[in-house]
Amino acid sequence: MSKRGSLDPIIMVRDLTKTYRSKREGLVNALDPVSFTVEEGEFVCLVGPSGCGKSTLLKILAGIVERTSGDFGIRHRGHAATDCHIGLVFQSPVLLPWRTVLHNTLLPAEVLALDRGAAEQRARELIALVGLAGFENSYPSELSGGMQQRCAITRALLHDPPILLMDEPFGALDAMTRDSMNVELLRIWAESRKTVFLITHSISEAVFLADRVLVMSQRPGRIIDEIRPELSRPRDFDSMTTPAFGEAVRRIRRKLGMDGRSKSYDG
Amino acid sequence: MTGEANVKAPIKTRHERSFGARLRRLIDAGLGFLVLCALVALIEAIVRVFAVPSYVFPAPSEIVKALYSGFAESIFSRSAYYMHITTTAIEALASFVIGSSLGVVVGALIIQFSLLRRIVLPYFIGLQSVPKVALAPLFVVWFGLGISSKIVLGVLLTFFPLMINTAAGLASVERERLELMQSLKASGWKTFRLVKLPSALPFIFAGLEMAAAYAVLGAVVGEFVGGTSGLGVLILNRNAVLDVAGSLAALIILAVMGIGLQRAVVAARVRVLFWAPSQDILVD
Repeated sequence: MSKRGSLDPIIMVRDLTKTYRSKREGLVNALDPVSFTVEEGEFVCLVGPSGCGKSTLLKILAGIVERTSGDFGIRHRGHAATDCHIGLVFQSPVLLPWRTVLHNTLLPAEVLALDRGAAEQRARELIALVGLAGFENSYPSELSGGMQQRCAITRALLHDPPILLMDEPFGALDAMTRDSMNVELLRIWAESRKTVFLITHSISEAVFLADRVLVMSQRPGRIIDEIRPELSRPRDFDSMTTPAFGEAVRRIRRKLGMDGRSKSYDG
Repeated sequence: MTGEANVKAPIKTRHERSFGARLRRLIDAGLGFLVLCALVALIEAIVRVFAVPSYVFPAPSEIVKALYSGFAESIFSRSAYYMHITTTAIEALASFVIGSSLGVVVGALIIQFSLLRRIVLPYFIGLQSVPKVALAPLFVVWFGLGISSKIVLGVLLTFFPLMINTAAGLASVERERLELMQSLKASGWKTFRLVKLPSALPFIFAGLEMAAAYAVLGAVVGEFVGGTSGLGVLILNRNAVLDVAGSLAALIILAVMGIGLQRAVVAARVRVLFWAPSQDILVD
């Protein structure tokens, strides 16, 4: 519930659409016009059924996929050291297996030609922040899935981007690791003071993490609801048992047509 | 400075293997050698018992004698092996280095520039199915009886596996790795150097192993068609005087050469690709 930066949204999306050509289905409408904003320092989750176009939306924001129409803007202050204002975390860690934890973390420094000494110092701080200290020289194959995803987070944070974009970052982990990674993520978010835009198909995860949850419909994706869970920060596992948590989850579930009769939702 | 500079020794080195595992390998090797010895002894016995003439099939002891006399002669003698070995080794190594390098470069260019791929790749794929050794007589006409005609043939043979494998490796890089680089607004060259080329290395090394065999093949076929020295020439000369033992002795040297080059590639792969799952059926 950050009250910083209430002047201007850091992410602004207006009437964004995406249509692509598929071999089987012809022209596919992945995104209906989508509009929303994210304030600086805010933690926003986008929740929706699989295949609703939420990953496409994230890839448009990350500059990986071209939009079909509409507009989006990412505000950045002038003092940013690089042209890259986002850090991206995928569902899988996407670490380079021939690089150690330290050198995977340093990848953005090489791409963006940052000062090597300063970058390495920052990398070591980030590795400590996510709890990987002592594993700087380990290779990804020597790490567990959760540890690999921690390294993916250090890499996304290395160039100090104001915005962290996360696409189901813990979706590939087992439920127990996933819960503890979410608590960790909130801690990292609080310490690094980033704006986080996270995509998930887990309603409870979205409610647990977010200042604000955007609910997306089935394809073509539209934003059909926006919820501010009334949970105090810092949150921990106990937050999940409060009435406010249950209320927010129930409301999103209803919005997605999951009232116990519909079988359309596979998340 | 580069990603490659970070590549260190394999995670699990030979020295870290347990004593038991090393003992087992030693026993395996010993048993394998015993089987070989038994086989050789069996052939020796059959040849002697049935009095097979040496111009049909020589006893293994004859081959060993031929090998010995070939190496015992003066280094500069024409009937000694040294000059022939040097010629063939230079041809094979030069073919391997030049052909593989060209293959990697062309394979990379073809993937990096889609215009080139669309225009040139169909021809390369068509050429790949042409039996290239059939060109050996032409190469002797065009490039002479010296080593250059053999190197051209070897280059042609080693080029294709590397070109195709490099292209396949670069084309099959995990999409998310490329998206990661895109999100960092990486240039094409940085994406190539930091992600695509290292990701393609397992394919490139598979190509190099094929090329190691093709390089020796190119040298020998070239020498068969027309040459003045080399192990291929030696085999023809020995055959012409019905010295089958001498032919087989030269063949054994060729085999050692081919195996040596192939094992060198494997050793390089184990060092460089310590991070990739091993495909070597000899290393468990």
